[in-house]
This record gives sequence, structure tokens and C-alpha cells, in this order.
Amino acid sequence: MTTDAADAAPSNPPNSSTEATGATGRLEQTNPDYDPNVVIEAQNLTKVYRDFWGRQKVRALNALDLEVRKGEIFGLLGPNGSGKSTTIKLLLGLLFPTSGRAVVLGENATNVAKNERIGYLPEESYLYKFLNAEETLDFYGRLFDMPAKVRRERVQALIEQVGLGKAKRRQLKEYSKGMTRRIGLAQALINDPELILLDEPTSGLDPLGTREMKDMILKLRDEGKTIVMCSHLLADVQDVCDRVAILFQGDLKEMGRVDSLLKVSGETQIRSQDLPESAHAEIRKIIEQHGGTNITIENPTTTLEELFLGIVRDSEARPGMRSAPADKSS
Amino acid sequence: MVREEFPQFLEWFGPGILLLLGVLAVGALLGLFFGYLVAAFRHGPFEAFYVVSQVVAEAVPDFLQTSPRRVLAMAGLAIKEALRRRVVLVTFVIFALSILFGGWFMDSGSDKPEQIYINFVMWGTQMLVLLMGLLISAFSLPEDIKNKTIYTIVTKPVRSTEIVLGRILGFGFLGTVLLALMGIISFFFIWRNLDHKHMIDGPSQTVAAFVEIDSETMKSTISGKRVSPNAISEATTTIDNGHAHRLEIYQDIRSGDDEALQTGDIVETIKRDDGKVTYHRARCMPVGGHTHKVTVSGTGASATVSLGPAIGYFRARQPIYSDELAFYDRDGVKDDKGINVGKEWGYRGYVDGGSRGNLSTLSRAKFSFTNFDASRFPDADFAPLEVNLGVFRSTKGDIEERVTGGLRFESVPENPDVENRYISEIVEFETAEYTVQTLPVPKKLVGRIVAPDGSLVEEGEYDLFSDFAGSNGKLELSLSCRDVNQYLGCARPDVYFRGKDQPFWWNFFKGYVGIWCQMMIIIAMGVALSTFLSTPLVMMGVIAIMIVGFNTSFIQNLAKVDEQGNLLNEFGGGPIASFVRILTQQNVMQDLETGVFNTVIAQADYLAINSMKLLTYLAPDFRQLNFSNYLVYGFAVDDQQLLIAVAVTSAFLLGLVLCGYFCLKTREIAK
Repeated sequence: MTTDAADAAPSNPPNSSTEATGATGRLEQTNPDYDPNVVIEAQNLTKVYRDFWGRQKVRALNALDLEVRKGEIFGLLGPNGSGKSTTIKLLLGLLFPTSGRAVVLGENATNVAKNERIGYLPEESYLYKFLNAEETLDFYGRLFDMPAKVRRERVQALIEQVGLGKAKRRQLKEYSKGMTRRIGLAQALINDPELILLDEPTSGLDPLGTREMKDMILKLRDEGKTIVMCSHLLADVQDVCDRVAILFQGDLKEMGRVDSLLKVSGETQIRSQDLPESAHAEIRKIIEQHGGTNITIENPTTTLEELFLGIVRDSEARPGMRSAPADKSS
Repeated sequence: MVREEFPQFLEWFGPGILLLLGVLAVGALLGLFFGYLVAAFRHGPFEAFYVVSQVVAEAVPDFLQTSPRRVLAMAGLAIKEALRRRVVLVTFVIFALSILFGGWFMDSGSDKPEQIYINFVMWGTQMLVLLMGLLISAFSLPEDIKNKTIYTIVTKPVRSTEIVLGRILGFGFLGTVLLALMGIISFFFIWRNLDHKHMIDGPSQTVAAFVEIDSETMKSTISGKRVSPNAISEATTTIDNGHAHRLEIYQDIRSGDDEALQTGDIVETIKRDDGKVTYHRARCMPVGGHTHKVTVSGTGASATVSLGPAIGYFRARQPIYSDELAFYDRDGVKDDKGINVGKEWGYRGYVDGGSRGNLSTLSRAKFSFTNFDASRFPDADFAPLEVNLGVFRSTKGDIEERVTGGLRFESVPENPDVENRYISEIVEFETAEYTVQTLPVPKKLVGRIVAPDGSLVEEGEYDLFSDFAGSNGKLELSLSCRDVNQYLGCARPDVYFRGKDQPFWWNFFKGYVGIWCQMMIIIAMGVALSTFLSTPLVMMGVIAIMIVGFNTSFIQNLAKVDEQGNLLNEFGGGPIASFVRILTQQNVMQDLETGVFNTVIAQADYLAINSMKLLTYLAPDFRQLNFSNYLVYGFAVDDQQLLIAVAVTSAFLLGLVLCGYFCLKTREIAK
């Protein structure tokens, strides 16, 4: 295994830690049709769940065709039971497709070797609760065949990165939901993966944790990693994803770039600062002159998330009772 | 205890490897066949070829790329997980409580206390360790799958081999540590409970405490039984560990005053006029298979007699068995089985002592020994012969008297047509029933040399090793019954020379290696089955295999059939027929009435019993790995047997790892 280290994928980001690369090794790519820019390729991917007698229970995924390209954040959207988690499990080889095929990093999804370059954060952080953070990361590091020295450095770096420095010796059973998600993310990053699969990454996190998670995802993308996440929290997906696929009852309903999918054609939005109220009538007049229909002219509102994060940041900077803000409407 | 035959390791190994390869080949073919059927059902007949070939193609790199670091990581996790479940701790606590309070219920003053103690610790340890192995292995993987913690394992570059191997090694390590701990504690528990010392019962610890034995009756005033033929005085010890010993001072007449004879048990040395020397020695008579070393300080009546620790409890006898046993009737005609004395255990054949006042001279049981060499014995002066004989008394015999047996030794020339033979005089001995007697056969035997034509060449004293067995290491021992109207019964394992004993601790260790082998198979079986079954099913499966494994020969005997295919067992047929007999109150000796109903029952029983018989070939024969009886009865576990047990265990581990690998590899981890 370690001899494969020399065959590191050329697409590795320049700042990928050399220790981790050397430690985990990279597999030789044997697929001649492998396009290094296509990280995930699903063709006609179908999954039918059957009962003990082989009778069909549910068709969880129906002929999914999908392509995820290197360096993008790809979101799988859909309500519960739409097939998001099934898709992730098929890509990871946790489930076998009923028909069709899934190719991950040029390898068949059931091939264990591909896991050298993958990080996975499950929906719940399915970790061993009797281990502490250091033991957990050390254990997963061993699974990547990392030498002890490299493992120790990587474990400490990740613990600091996810902000668990003070709790690194506490058993995971004592962790809050947010801390569990963070250690879950750390274990997914232990091998400095090229592809990261995140199943409901912000599930159960408070707004601050959610923001941190989203920032982390964006940072990983900036480091050149490819991220596939599934979520039913649409705002989160909208914030971070470059492209999304929307699934419903196992069928792919829509796929494309987030900005193009959300673009409302036929409407124009103008935002301006310090514009007096008297100008509103004039603007309405101009719109009517050009044959447009005026829908609304009003002060925009911020998001609740932005408000909350602003308060938290302000409180951290100036502890104590916060003075009530002036009523802007008065 | 009846020691069963076992082959030498090197003889066994070749056919054993062939058998293993055969089983693996058949297993592989069956696996491919059933794998294809399942794949064809799920993916269609053409896609199934691709799926099966993909699994096979990935298997080779999976095995080759198995990483020791990952295996050790999985093993470490398995250990932590098992410790967290506290099964190991509970097992140890139960064991500790048994050891702490078990002694209350064991009688150290019984006839064979060491058998009770050794049996208790061996059986207790075996059951606890096997149960622990079953529990930790049956819960592990199904719990990981249920809690989905396995998701974070299988999405790393971890091969199924590493998951299966890691768990087996982890649980095996934990079981080994526990077993070692239990073994050490058990060893000291036995030692502490059996080790004891005695004092002479009376006001004095000197020879003055001994009372003279009536030389006419030669009966003990202490026990009322006959004393040794050369005893002159006796005493008794204090009661310790529930028993007392009788002490004897006896005469030992020797031809000269040899320095080697100056041992610490001499009370008095008398030089006789005829040049011989009479030693008065003190000895401790055995009770329940043990005795004590007697040390005498000083001489005469004021000599102090002290007794050392118990000797004989902690034995690891190495029997030197004969290769062949043949019986000869009173006409000297060879017979394989000896005389059948009626409703007796068919294990022994009997030797006729003669009738109508005529001692049978030709009737005998002849044991043929090979590799009979002095280096195999601890003392060059004697070759201890241990005999465990059955006695059958006809109504014409004297029931009060012990039956006398006779031993005669003969050399076995390679070429009897040209070589002379050594034949000893018959050495008579009194038989003791229901116990193992030790007869010290002296190195020098009185006998004669006989020429090939039967003529006498010479009479004299000849060496057992260099003369009788000298040329080729072959020796024949003839056992005869020296009392008219009586019969002596024996089987091949009943008469053996006792070679050098092995150290008891080493034999004890080997007994625990046997338990370790069983534990490892149970753990591997639990892990392999848990790759595709839930915990309750794993436990049921392993327990079923254990039942079959511990009763292999019983089940195979159940399935024996005659030429017509009828079951030959003595339980009245199979399970259904037995059930019908219970309901209809019919005894097992009577055939069921012929008819359609009973024919259907017989056929169903035949199928059921043969299915069980088939299982006996798949399940490990746990008796082959169980050396408890050797320890209990004080026999050394042969190194060859141990090697075979370890090799059998390794073969099962290999098979179970392969089975676990393919089951885990081909199952969907997620639901």
C-alpha cells in the first residue's frame, strides 16, 4: 500500500499536507477511461429495496444519471425519503445498486481502494462513544495505515481545526450534538481526502455551528476538494453549493447551478442606498413608461441568521447586558 | 480414563493438509454456486457472472493488501469494545467467586482429591471462557451494524479481511489474557488446597513412636489390613487435609553397602555375617494416590522422622504403551479379543487362570513394545510398569484372596530362525482391582537364553534393556493369571510402562492450550457467523455447533446403519421413532411394527440423523482439543496431540476467516 504513495493524484491541492498524502498513500488509477475532472459518475443508478422473500418494498432511487466535477460543492436536495441518503450510500459502497453503476474517483463504488481518497460524514456521527476525540482520530488514522508520527500530528491539527482542543480527552458520550458533528467532520478529514461526502452536515447544529460548518465546507472547496452534501435544509444548500440535484421519490427532478436555477427571469431587482422616499414615485413612473409592472418598492430585510450571528459576535466582543436597539420604524 | 489412539503429527499432517485443501475447494465451489444463484436472483443470470467474478477478483488483492496496522487497530477496538461490555470482567468475577468459595464444597480428604480439584478448575474455566468467547463475538459485529458505527469503518480503506481478522485477534487476545490469568490462579488454587504435611500421631516424632508388627499375622493394628511383606513396625500420621497415612519401617536387604543406597530414609543399617546389608528404612504408605517423602535424622529408636510435602498429586505420566495386544487361550491359540466373561464392559478381554486344579500355562495376554529404551525411564534400576486390571472371579475361587497375576518378559529377535531369545522367569504379583498398580520391574531379571530350536543355552540374570530389548528395542510382555478358576481382564491401555514424567506445570499449560484452541474456534465462529446473522441467531448457531462438536462420536454412532440401511443404535431409532416409543410406551429393544406410518418415520429419522452426521464433519471435534481428562487422571498430554490440536485450530481459523470475509464482502452494510 505505501508504495502507491508516489502515485498521488495530480489533482491534489497544493496545500494538501504532504504528511497525510505520504501516510495514506494514493492508489494507482487503473481505469483507462478515468477523467480526473469527473469525481463521481452515476449511470442509470437504481436501488430497489426488497424484503426477505425478494419482493419489492420500495424503489428508493430510479435511474439516476449524475456527474460531479472536481472542485465543486454539489448538493443533493429533496424531502425525506427522496433518495438522497441512498445515493450517498451507493456512492460509498454501503449499498449495492440494483442496476446501473456508480463510479467514484474512477473506481467502482464497491471497490474499497477508492476509500483512500474519500472522507465521509454520516448523518448521525456514528462513532464509538467510549473513545475520546484523540483516540477516535488516532483509530481512524490507523485505518488509513498512517505511521504513528504522522498520525499524532494530524490528530492534533484536526482537533484544533474543529475547535475541540479543550475536550479532546473527554469520551464522546459526553459530547453535545455540535461537538459530535465536529469530531465527525474531523474523522472525515483525517486522510486529507479529495472527495468529501457529507450527509446532513448541519443537522442538529445551532446557527453558530451551522455557520462554522458552512464556512468549513467553503474553505475545503477553496483548498480544491470536491464536496457532495445532501440536506433538506434549503438555506444551507443555497449558501454553499455550486450545483444541486433535486430528488423526489427516487427520481431526479432538477439539476444545475444554484444561481441559474434560482434566477427568476422576467423580474428586475434594483437595490440602492440613501435614496429618499420622494424618488419612489419617480421610479414607479419610469417603470410604467417602459411597460413594466411595479411589484414592490420597500426597504430590504436581512436574514434571521445574519441578525443572530451579528448579536452573537457583538456579545462576544462586549460581554454583558446588550442595550435594546432603537426601533427603526419609529 | 481410556487414552485414545492418535497419530504422529508428521503422519497426520500430509493427509490433514489434503483434507483441508479438499474442504476449501468444495467450499469454494459451493460458495461460487450459491453466490451465483443469489446474484442471478438479484441481477439476472448474465449480470450475475460479472458480479461473482468481481467478488472473486477483488478477493485476491484484498488478502494481499491486508495491512497489519489496520488489523491491529481493529483488534484494539475489539478489545476496548469487549472490555466496555464488561463480559470479560463478569466472567472473571464468576471465576474468582468459584475459586474463593468452591473449596468449601470439595473434599480434600477424598480418595482422589486432585482429580476433583483439577476437574473443577478445568471444567469451570472451559465453560466460562467458551461462554465469554461466544458472547463477545456474537454481539460485536451485529451491534456495530445496528448502531451504524460500521459505516465509519467500511468507508475507510478497510478490507473485510481486516474487520474479521481484527475482531478474532482482539477477542482472542483478551480471551488469552483471561485464560492465562485463570490458569495461573487455578494452578495455585490446586497447589494450595492439596499441598500439606503430616506429623507422626503421638507424643514423639521419633522411631520410638512406631509399634512392632505381628510377624505371624502380618496385619496392621492401625488399619487391620495386611501390611507389606517386609514391614517390621508401623505408625500413623496426624489427620491433615482429611486423611492420615500409615508409616512403615521395613527391611531392605542388599548384597553390599553401596553408596547409592545411602538415602535419607534409613533408620538403621545392619551388616550381616553373610556379607549382605540390611537397611531398615521408613516409608509413608500412599493414600488417595499420594505419599510423602520420609526423612530420618539420627539412628535407632531416637532417630527423628519427618515427612515432606505431598508427592503424587501433581503427576504428568508419560505412558509407554504396547503397539499390539494379542490373547492366547489355554491351548495356546491366538485370539484377538480374549475370553468373554459375560455381561461385562466389552472393553477388556480376559485371561484364563485354568480349571480343575490345573494352572493354565499357555493362556496369556501378550503386549508387544517397541522403542523400549532405558533413556525413556527416570531410574535406570527399575522400569515402572503400571497396570489397571479387571478381575473376574468364578464361584470356585476364593473371594477373600487377591488374585495373583504373572509377568514374563521375552526378547523379539529380528530373525528368530538364527537368533537366540531371552525369556524371563514369571514374576508374580498380587492384583489390586479398581486401581492403577505400579509394579517396579527390576533392571536385572532372572531368566534363560533359548536357542532357535528351543534348547536351553544359558540360565542367569539378564538386563531388561540391554539383553531383552537390546538388539532392536522390541520387548514382549506376557500377562497370565496365576490362580486357577480366576480370570484377569485387560485392554491395551491397561498395561503400560511409565516413562519419565513431564513437569506438572508444563502439562497444566498444555491442558490450557487445549481450552485456548476451543476458545479461538468459538470466537472465530461467532465472528464469522455474525457477518451475516443477528446476535440471537449467531448464539444459537454456535451453541448448536458446540453441541455437535462435543458429541461427534455419539452422533456418528447414532447414524450407524446395517447393510439394509436400518439404524443400528441402541436408542430405538431416530428422534421421531423415539418420540413415538415414548407416546406409545414401547421399549427400545423392540422393533416398531411395519407399516406405512413407521416406514415414513424411519425414513425421516434416517434423514435427520444423517443431516446431523454431516454436521459432525463440518463442526470441530472438541474432544480432540480437550485435554482436561489427561490432567485429571495424571497423564501427560502428548506433544504430538498438542501439535495436531493447534494445527486443527489453525485450519478452522483459516476456514472461518475466509467464510467471514466473503459473507461480509457480499452483504450490504446499510439498510
